[in-house]
Amino acid sequence: MIRRKISAGNLILGAVLLAAALAMALEVNKPAPDFTLTDHQGKTHSLSQYKGKYVVLEWINFDCPFVRKHYGSGNMQALQKEYTKKGVVWLSVCSSAPGKQGHFDAKEITKRLAEAGGAQTAYLIDAEGKVGRLYGAKTTPHMFIIDPEGKLIYNGAIDSIRSTDKDDIKKAENYVRTVLDAVLNGKEVKPFTTVPYGCSVKY
Amino acid sequence: MMSRKRHSFLLVFIFLITMASQALAQVNFGGEPHTKLKLIPEVTSVQPGGSFWVAARLSMEEGWHIYWRNPGDTGLETEIVWDLPEGFKAGELQWPYPEKIIEDPLVVYGFHDVIYLLTRIDVDKSVKPGKTVEIKAKANFLECAEVCIPGEGADAVTLPVKAEPPRPDTRWVEVFAEARSKLPLKATDWQISASRKANELLIRLNPPQWFTFPFKEVTFFPYKMGFIDNIAPQKIVKENGSYLLKIKLADNAEVPSEIEGILVNEDGWRGPGSEKSLEIKAVLGEALAPAAGGGGKLSSVWLAILFSFLGGIILNLMPCVLPVLSIKIMGIINQAHDEHTEPWKHGAVFTLGVLVSFLVLAGILLILKAGGAQLGWGFQLQEPLFLTFLAAFMFVFGLSMFGVFEIGTSLTTVEGKVQPKRSGFAASFVSGILATIVATPCTAPFMGSALGFALAQPAWVSLIVFTFLGLGMAFPFMLISSIPALLRYIPKPGRWMESLKQFMGFLLVATVIWLLWVLGIQAGATAVIIVLFDLLITALGAWVYGRWGNLAMPPKTRRTAMVIALILVLGSNGYVFANLDQYAVTPQAEAASSEGIPWQEFSQEKVDELVAAGKPVFIDFTAAWCLSCQVNDRVAFSDETVQKTFRNKKITAFKADWTSRDEHIAQALAKFGRNSVPLYVLYPGGNKNEPMLLPEIITPGIVLDALELVK
Repeated sequence: MIRRKISAGNLILGAVLLAAALAMALEVNKPAPDFTLTDHQGKTHSLSQYKGKYVVLEWINFDCPFVRKHYGSGNMQALQKEYTKKGVVWLSVCSSAPGKQGHFDAKEITKRLAEAGGAQTAYLIDAEGKVGRLYGAKTTPHMFIIDPEGKLIYNGAIDSIRSTDKDDIKKAENYVRTVLDAVLNGKEVKPFTTVPYGCSVKY
Repeated sequence: MMSRKRHSFLLVFIFLITMASQALAQVNFGGEPHTKLKLIPEVTSVQPGGSFWVAARLSMEEGWHIYWRNPGDTGLETEIVWDLPEGFKAGELQWPYPEKIIEDPLVVYGFHDVIYLLTRIDVDKSVKPGKTVEIKAKANFLECAEVCIPGEGADAVTLPVKAEPPRPDTRWVEVFAEARSKLPLKATDWQISASRKANELLIRLNPPQWFTFPFKEVTFFPYKMGFIDNIAPQKIVKENGSYLLKIKLADNAEVPSEIEGILVNEDGWRGPGSEKSLEIKAVLGEALAPAAGGGGKLSSVWLAILFSFLGGIILNLMPCVLPVLSIKIMGIINQAHDEHTEPWKHGAVFTLGVLVSFLVLAGILLILKAGGAQLGWGFQLQEPLFLTFLAAFMFVFGLSMFGVFEIGTSLTTVEGKVQPKRSGFAASFVSGILATIVATPCTAPFMGSALGFALAQPAWVSLIVFTFLGLGMAFPFMLISSIPALLRYIPKPGRWMESLKQFMGFLLVATVIWLLWVLGIQAGATAVIIVLFDLLITALGAWVYGRWGNLAMPPKTRRTAMVIALILVLGSNGYVFANLDQYAVTPQAEAASSEGIPWQEFSQEKVDELVAAGKPVFIDFTAAWCLSCQVNDRVAFSDETVQKTFRNKKITAFKADWTSRDEHIAQALAKFGRNSVPLYVLYPGGNKNEPMLLPEIITPGIVLDALELVK
């Protein structure tokens, strides 16, 4: 009886902590929390192992029309290619729960990545949604940029025009490009936040 | 031959392309959209130089939703793109208020089932009558169930251009009325101010004076995306006469300097059943506007306490309270000669009885009011049956004062018997309750408006006011019973007490007359006569009881007397209670001439005649299915000052009821360039006598301002 009570208590505490974590979007200019996840090939990656490099986190769900906008147009892959070449680590994170949209097995992921021509450093699987919730990832896509000291310098949308229309990509300001171009050229960037847009993350 | 071959080749080509594009659509968007667009014009023709409304109806399959102008945490704003002929210009899209759709941990703002997005289209003067025009639109939306799909829909309607004013398309009047009722109110008497405190956005809502309706929950939907925490519950705090809405801001929020959006109040901004959403625009200020009401101000609370205490003392002089009290005082006088420690205790218990019953009454009132009932102090007097009961009660009480019979001889102390302590206190407590109950009807005319004000204040202020009213009423009694020195000034019991008692009986009969006068206004002369007969038979019963039912008679006679008295009293009162309705006249005919606005049925000829004669005329175009019309009626035309102004200025008021669609009313509406209700038209009178249109949402203030024009 007592044990059950305690576990119920833990459950409530857990729920409260979770709610608190969700309510608190990650603040920029503060250290980004560390995490460890496995990619679709079974390799583990943790944030701390990439210390000393710029890291981009991209929340992904291949079946979401907003993600399709950026992959279908080749926009996302171009960014990945351009910046990984310049030494940036690009991690795509999928927080879709099993059975929900965007959750695939390793074989399907390999196929989808090959089709799209994805050039990310790794495609990480976060089926329990732990890292998504830790970072307060709301939408796909939702972008985070972390500097070599492990500090979060950007949290928000991929670009400035909310739409699923590929034609808008050219007209929009791409915030990931804005930030990375500046810092890679040795310019100071004041960390900032925008409102992300896309499908909801399918936790 | 050649050409036919080429022709079929072309057909195959087109077929292939269609197939391919369909397949592509399948890949991209997962088939047909789950949301369909249909354009619905409000009118059957358009007029150059005029304007008309078109509804874009978006109907969604079950489980799917599309988004509001601010989609919330994810999603996309729904768009209507117009493709209009030369000379036609579309205005801003009118958004109905959205629902909050929770997709934990995200919240989005959107719509399910079906929505009507209204747009006004202006027609240039240069457009030539006689031809037909095509109104086309495309809807772009993101539709979501578990997954989201971008979709689009297109529709077109054709309308003839005619020189005459457009007529409403009768198939759609109710659809438009309902769609309009879901649009936010643009103007209001509510005072709205906003400020920021740490990570909270504060919106203060000061209600207008006439707003006395329940108000529980409010939700703010901002027009700008991303600056409030959409999922955090918004809290409403009642403070004095106004309300404070607390909204958690998003982390790292960029709060705009002007807060724009809508406030949704499920209880209605103009009372129950009225418009639920209100558009607001408030500059983010350093401080909020002061809270309304003034009820919370300390000085006015002190003043209320003082006046309620004084009022309570004065209550003792009311003809209905004085007799009850005087009996009690006589009891005290008698006791005072037996024991010197008792009187003040009796005073305290009496005070307690008064206080408890005052607070219970106030509590019941506050609870009923919170439940939405429109009640004021003395509300019980609006009920003819209660009036009858009270009149009979007072009359019987008065008869006992005259000495026709003695009330509960064994219980009162009038005869100077020494009571066991307990029952003595119980009697004091009960007389406290009795005094309050008979005092209530007396307070109604005397302090009705003051108590009404007290009830409109926050609950704690009302309760304080009632407490002090009770204390004031019990005060003289408490004073006399607790200071033995004062008791000495009161003459020793004797014959004078009997005379005083009989005199008090006349005061009670005076109260009965007043009650019957009130009853007469409510239920008419016949009802009063019936009640008078009832009182006569009740008096007969009381006399039988007093004459043969007293302790001096043998038990058998007493029993028979009691049975006869009971039959007489219960029989006559029971008959009146069961049948009063039949004798009551609903005083509507009377009220129409003295109270309210004497509405006449709309007639264009009569209006023309009066207008030509330079007389002031008011026309109310309304319909039972029009929500705003009903609320306007209730809010603006039931206001006493408005009614009085209508009567004093001798304005002829017409009601054009469009509930069942009437061709004459439709024509009259068209004359004012309208094709929907509500519409309020005022001809102020005089030589020019040109019509003036009032806004669609009216309040007593707006109507009174307009009526100022009438000389």
